[in-house]
Amino acid sequence: MPESTIHADRELDVRGAQCPIPIIRARQEINQLQVGQTLKVIATDPGSMNDFKGWAQTAKNVELVKQEETTDANQKRVYIHYIKRTA
Amino acid sequence: MHTQQATIKTHELKLMLDRGDKFVLLDVRNHEEFERWRIEGRHPLEVKHVPYFLFVEDPDNAIQGLPKDRLIVAVCAKGGSSAWVVNEVLRPRGFQAANLEGGMLAWGSYYQVQELPESLSKLRIYQFDRLARGCLHHIIAYGSGLDQAIVIDPPRHTDKILEFIGQKNLKVRAIIDTHAHADHVSGAVKLSQITNAPYYLHPYDGIHPMDVLPATFAYEMLKDGMQFELNGAKLTVLHIPGHTLGNTALLLENPDRRYLFSGDSIFLKSIARPDLGGRAETWTTLHYKSLYTRLLTLPDDTIVLPGHYSRPQEARADGLFAATLAELKRTNADLQIYPESEFRNHILSSLPQFPPQYVDIKRVNLGLLTADADRIEELELGKNVCALATAYKI
Repeated sequence: MPESTIHADRELDVRGAQCPIPIIRARQEINQLQVGQTLKVIATDPGSMNDFKGWAQTAKNVELVKQEETTDANQKRVYIHYIKRTA
Repeated sequence: MHTQQATIKTHELKLMLDRGDKFVLLDVRNHEEFERWRIEGRHPLEVKHVPYFLFVEDPDNAIQGLPKDRLIVAVCAKGGSSAWVVNEVLRPRGFQAANLEGGMLAWGSYYQVQELPESLSKLRIYQFDRLARGCLHHIIAYGSGLDQAIVIDPPRHTDKILEFIGQKNLKVRAIIDTHAHADHVSGAVKLSQITNAPYYLHPYDGIHPMDVLPATFAYEMLKDGMQFELNGAKLTVLHIPGHTLGNTALLLENPDRRYLFSGDSIFLKSIARPDLGGRAETWTTLHYKSLYTRLLTLPDDTIVLPGHYSRPQEARADGLFAATLAELKRTNADLQIYPESEFRNHILSSLPQFPPQYVDIKRVNLGLLTADADRIEELELGKNVCALATAYKI
């Protein structure tokens, strides 16, 4: 699947990290963003798909814009999450 | 008060579940994973589901409803998030909390081994219970020094089998899959390579039913009536098509007792489903014949050792999954449906949803698909659903 052309203001690479690290780091990054800005998270944990979805549904100021499953330059499966700060 | 440990191992959790200890199981996985499968015990278990990202987001809100007067055991997929919840949120706030080490991944590869007490002097039968999945695997030890073994339906965690046969000083003589499994990845080929013992499978199950492609490895072919001599006792292959075309059960007979390793045919509270090959209509007829004319006609005192269970409560008081055929005829409703027309109606109207990953699992088992460890974990997520819906409730 080709990678999206969604504009991201910041990128967080958490490849190789297991939960809860991707969510904890994403929360820290979101706190640094302006309202309306978007964070791109690159993860390798398949569980991150449902985790980011669930987190975005329950978190105060986070919207899940898009999720993608693709492969990186090393042919490793990666999971990409675009999240926007909403408030 | 914090002398209590911050981690719990799978075997410790199993003991707590068996004793019916009063504790709270706090599952911090996401909603989808929690709905798909969870830890169960024989006794009622107090479970709280609070995904870990709620603890990240607002810990003081997330802890509402958690008790301080009893132990909380936290669990997640691999043990990382639950450890974080225990150490960063719960214990600093005065909760008695412990993390299940390795999470559901460890729980899914935990086996309890028990010896069947009915075993006689010339034989020993060991049952391996993979609790998380409701899968049962068996080893028969035989020979004058009880040093020979036949392994039936070995799981992919062959290290657990090898550790056991090492402890007991067993020499593996044969490895048998009662059928090509669709719900879990078999360890038979790997175990055969390591131990040099031949691997047996019925040839009808050496072909993938949907791909119609043959297994990519060589194996010894089981056939109906074939016998293995176990130092005075004999193990007879019964070809009982229905669940699969090459489905078999193994009848172990010595002069005073009989045991039926029923694989996926008769379970304790249900029977196997005939639809996993995509041919429920035609296979149901075979299934009926196999169950009612081949298996239920065996002597009533035959002890049945099945390949699966649906609920931990099916175990006897000693924890083993076993029952005589006489008991099963009385207590298993799926064994009381005849004639064939009634059986067909019942089966075809009570088939549970077909798990799509079962097609790939069988491909892996026949060497038609290679899958890395992560992919196998994903394929094997959740409990087995080899039984009919009547007994299958989460």
